Amino acid sequence: MTEGFHDAAWLARTRAQGDVAAWLERLPYARHIGVTASPDAGGDGLVFRLEPHQHNIGNILLPALHGGVVAAFMETAGTLDLMLSAREPRLPRIVDFSIDYLRTARVVPTFARCRLLREGRRLANVQVTAWQESEDQPVATARLHLVLGVPEPSDA
Amino acid sequence: MPDVPSPTVDEWRAALARFVTVIPHTRELGLEVVSVAPPTVTMCQPWRDDLLGDVERGLVHGGVLSLLLDTACGSAVLCGLPRPEVCPTLDLRVDHYRPAVAGKPIWVEARVLQVTASMVFTEGRVWQEPGCTVARGIGNFVRLGERNTPEGFAEALFEEVNHD
Repeated sequence: MTEGFHDAAWLARTRAQGDVAAWLERLPYARHIGVTASPDAGGDGLVFRLEPHQHNIGNILLPALHGGVVAAFMETAGTLDLMLSAREPRLPRIVDFSIDYLRTARVVPTFARCRLLREGRRLANVQVTAWQESEDQPVATARLHLVLGVPEPSDA
Repeated sequence: MPDVPSPTVDEWRAALARFVTVIPHTRELGLEVVSVAPPTVTMCQPWRDDLLGDVERGLVHGGVLSLLLDTACGSAVLCGLPRPEVCPTLDLRVDHYRPAVAGKPIWVEARVLQVTASMVFTEGRVWQEPGCTVARGIGNFVRLGERNTPEGFAEALFEEVNHD
């Protein structure tokens, strides 16, 4: 059986180890835009990071990151953060996503932190804040609703 | 007034095709402009493996759909105004009806619903098979106005077209 999100044992193990890098390796588009995660130095959660790749630019005049790339970054962060902080191993599936753009996202590293506002039996609500130079000057806030899927037990 | 009185649909298609080619992210992805009938634009994202979000089940990353909706809605704004203005996205909402699947092109159509003095309201739809919506998006864009739009912005959109 191939390792991956749909292998319950693999999901439980990587989750117990907090191995978000193993999850990101299996998300080609998140890799394409350059998403990484590391433990929050000042807390117990994760801080996500988006690389300021040239191919992430959406406005060459300013220049600024593509708003859609910032959205994809925040959706990735919200989903993976939920997988780590949910009560049990779950495979979330996005239902809807909403983003407010607050400031121009310059072509510099962008960070995101997530808050799980509600985890029900079937649905979760996750809030994501993204910033660049200073966390109290967010470039965008986002909100995700996700359905919590139960991973298949391995047949091994 | 600029030298772009009333571009034809072909001129608009060429102008927006150039617009998405000038944007590094959509150039890299190879996004194509299929047709433009102001204030509606239709684009097509050819399949490529780095659009995936779930490799094992072969599902597209949800963020790709947000990206396509933002790009298509933003392009609709350009052709939905009396003359093109710089309009940043204020907010975007995406409803995921069903997952998009690997190996097939992803289509997106967006149109302007309403223009006011300060805002442009848009909506967009993503699909792979006709009549089978994958995602729906609502994007609101801020009009910065002619004063904050760089001189020559409208003309630059049609530059190549007019030189053809």
